[in-house]
Amino acid sequence: MALRKKTGATEAREKLFDRVFKPQEMLLPNGHSVMRPRSRLPLIWGVILIAIAWALWFTGFDVSILIERGYQFGVILKRVFTPDMSYLDKVWSPLFDTIKMSVIGSVLGSTLALPFAVLASTNINKSRGVVAVLRVVLNIVRTLPTLVIASIFALIFGLGTFAGTVAITVFTFGIVAKMLYESIETIDMGPFEAMESLGANKFRAFWSACFPQILPTYLSQCLYSFEINVRAAAILGYVGAGGLGILINERIGWRDYESLGTVLLTLFVVVLIIENLSQYLRSKLS
Amino acid sequence: MIEFKDVSKVYPNGTRGLSHVNLQIEQGEFVAVIGLSGAGKSTLIRTINRMIDLTEGQVIVDDVDVMTLKGRSLRRFRRKIGMIFQSFNLVTRSTALKNVLTSMVPDMNFFSVLFGLFTKQQKLKALTALDKVGILDKAYTRCDQLSGGQQQRVALARTLNQDPSIILADEPVAALDPVMAHQVMGDFKRINQEMGITILINIHHVDLALDYASRVVGIRAGEIVYDGPASEVTQDVLTAIYGENPVPHSGDESAKQGGARDGAAKEDGRD
Amino acid sequence: MNNVLEAYQSRPRRWWKTLLVTIIVAIILAWSGSSIEFEGIASKGSEVAYGIVHGIANPDLDLLFGTKNTDVPYLLLETVAIAFLGTIFGGILAVPFSFLASGNIVPKPVAFVVRALILLIRTIPSLVWALVWIRVTGPGAFCGVVTQSICSIGMISKMYITAIEDLDTRILESMDAAGLTAFQKIRYGVLPQLTANFTSTIIYRFDINIKDATTLGIVGAGGIGASLVQCISSRRWSMVGAFLCGMIVLMLVIEFASTRIRRRLAHG
Repeated sequence: MALRKKTGATEAREKLFDRVFKPQEMLLPNGHSVMRPRSRLPLIWGVILIAIAWALWFTGFDVSILIERGYQFGVILKRVFTPDMSYLDKVWSPLFDTIKMSVIGSVLGSTLALPFAVLASTNINKSRGVVAVLRVVLNIVRTLPTLVIASIFALIFGLGTFAGTVAITVFTFGIVAKMLYESIETIDMGPFEAMESLGANKFRAFWSACFPQILPTYLSQCLYSFEINVRAAAILGYVGAGGLGILINERIGWRDYESLGTVLLTLFVVVLIIENLSQYLRSKLS
Repeated sequence: MIEFKDVSKVYPNGTRGLSHVNLQIEQGEFVAVIGLSGAGKSTLIRTINRMIDLTEGQVIVDDVDVMTLKGRSLRRFRRKIGMIFQSFNLVTRSTALKNVLTSMVPDMNFFSVLFGLFTKQQKLKALTALDKVGILDKAYTRCDQLSGGQQQRVALARTLNQDPSIILADEPVAALDPVMAHQVMGDFKRINQEMGITILINIHHVDLALDYASRVVGIRAGEIVYDGPASEVTQDVLTAIYGENPVPHSGDESAKQGGARDGAAKEDGRD
Repeated sequence: MNNVLEAYQSRPRRWWKTLLVTIIVAIILAWSGSSIEFEGIASKGSEVAYGIVHGIANPDLDLLFGTKNTDVPYLLLETVAIAFLGTIFGGILAVPFSFLASGNIVPKPVAFVVRALILLIRTIPSLVWALVWIRVTGPGAFCGVVTQSICSIGMISKMYITAIEDLDTRILESMDAAGLTAFQKIRYGVLPQLTANFTSTIIYRFDINIKDATTLGIVGAGGIGASLVQCISSRRWSMVGAFLCGMIVLMLVIEFASTRIRRRLAHG
């Protein structure tokens, strides 16, 4: 029903466009004719170009600054690329904090996401109202930037890794729940119905018929969110939520770009290892 | 006129595609090439516009030895030979009309090509080509929204649009269901009769070949084992071509399996 | 009966594998949990929590609908402008990167180096890029645009590369048969296949950049973030509520539109 409504709306919109820009008749030499709908491309390009011009003006975009002072970026980059290895000793502890925050945050967030995702799938939960409310809540959770969440939790729980872990948990919860309910909706419902016909209640039927189907996808999504989380957790320290972000903020503030290079290098290596490990595990899962 | 003079083809991996083929096809004939998978049907067709190089012998098309062509002259030569593929080979995200227009690109100047500027004449010509295969009303529809049969007709229109004197069709109906296959074969026959275009078609379904083509060439292990009118194909002839295997018919299980063709021959055939 | 027993005896025994995985996971969790200490709710922590809930329920309406350049609509527009330009520039800059990183187009060593570069761009958090660029451009929306142009390259290139590697090359075969030159094949065989894919990627990235642009404000790169974080730290909850409401609505709208457009691009 909802689907039909949607396509109806699309057709109405296309008709509106074709009413404003009337299709042109193409007459063939053999007498046949065909209606040529006007291309939407000129309109789309026009809107995009106007938007670009407006945005350039609005943001004060100035190429001359880039040309004049662009070398500064090169200077900084050069210093970043000659990392100060003696700083490495100070990096370990916050680096491990970052990894620990992402591990715990990913685990908690994905665990929390599971029941919500199940309740937000239309094929399991037949109550449309509950599904709609849950989806709005999940959408809102996902719109909140991690840094904002972290800065609020840093006020509530005090500065430190706990606030960061909670922020990562919330972030993971948002993305995993969405990915999960989308994949739950694509599963084969036959086994579920079979279980129900055997007299199992909804929870049991889901647990033994649907959960095995989504488990590999679910684990893969957890790993994927973990990949993202390491990078996200690295900056949380900027608002006082623990981890590498504290160092990054401090080193840039002191213009100590060689040490910044060390921090970024370790982050790069860690992300590289974690991404490869996670991608290996995910390829095993599928 | 297409003439094969003692043509042989051996693939780099040692597979023998054709051996000592001699064949003459007059302008305006409708020839169906039949045979088992890997018998050399594809190789035979693809040597004509030199998508595959020969190892021995000569292929002469309208007094031109195709092996002497290269670069620009080869591309110009290919302009008058249309080619149709089993998998349609359309840009599915573009409209049918845009796909048909691409066959005019070789005759256009650099800037028109770069910005996709087609004249009204060109568009009308392309639309006429679509009209000839009966899908004028789909001209402004994206190809991924067309059925398989309609997509093959777009491909046919694209080929017609380059005003070919010969059309080569490599398993054009293998990916279609029987009804659509008949429609597309009907299009071929009409084009052959109305426009006098020579048509060479590779086909797995013997009944379709016999229904529509005027001449049948049977290939077995790279050699021509039958060459004659479609009306004179008997069970003995088919046994000679296919061996003791059941003869594939459209809709048959064996015909469907035939759709997945000999991989080695096809892969090597690409240049 | 013997058969049943035999089948039971020869059942696959994977318990040690399960045990191993469980032990590894337990060790990782124990190690990770070790340093995350819950020190109780900070003094006035509950006050903060109450303040936020109260603020979102009662946003500062003057701020939410005002027209000054410190009000929510103006800052949201600025955020959109930053993300829009950043995405467009990023999308353009990513084109050479992704072609240079496709193993089927350039020599393998070149592709490898460019891929490493793309990974580097992707790994460095956007906040760090912003903090570095701010030394060049000074604070403001301009810095946000430059930052996003650079950090969008990473993900956009990654998705472009997938599109390039998934190209349908059979079309090129038929264009060969029709006598097209290499340039003509690229223009009519490759480009039409890529444009829809690339557009879809860019729109998806715009979605992400909008969210990212709100964060960049925190370090002074324009947009709504700076004011938001200021209000949070000075605990003016009704203003925080106004900023959050504006942001949430904007992002929901953008995400909805982006999903719709991408679905249409994919299915016509």
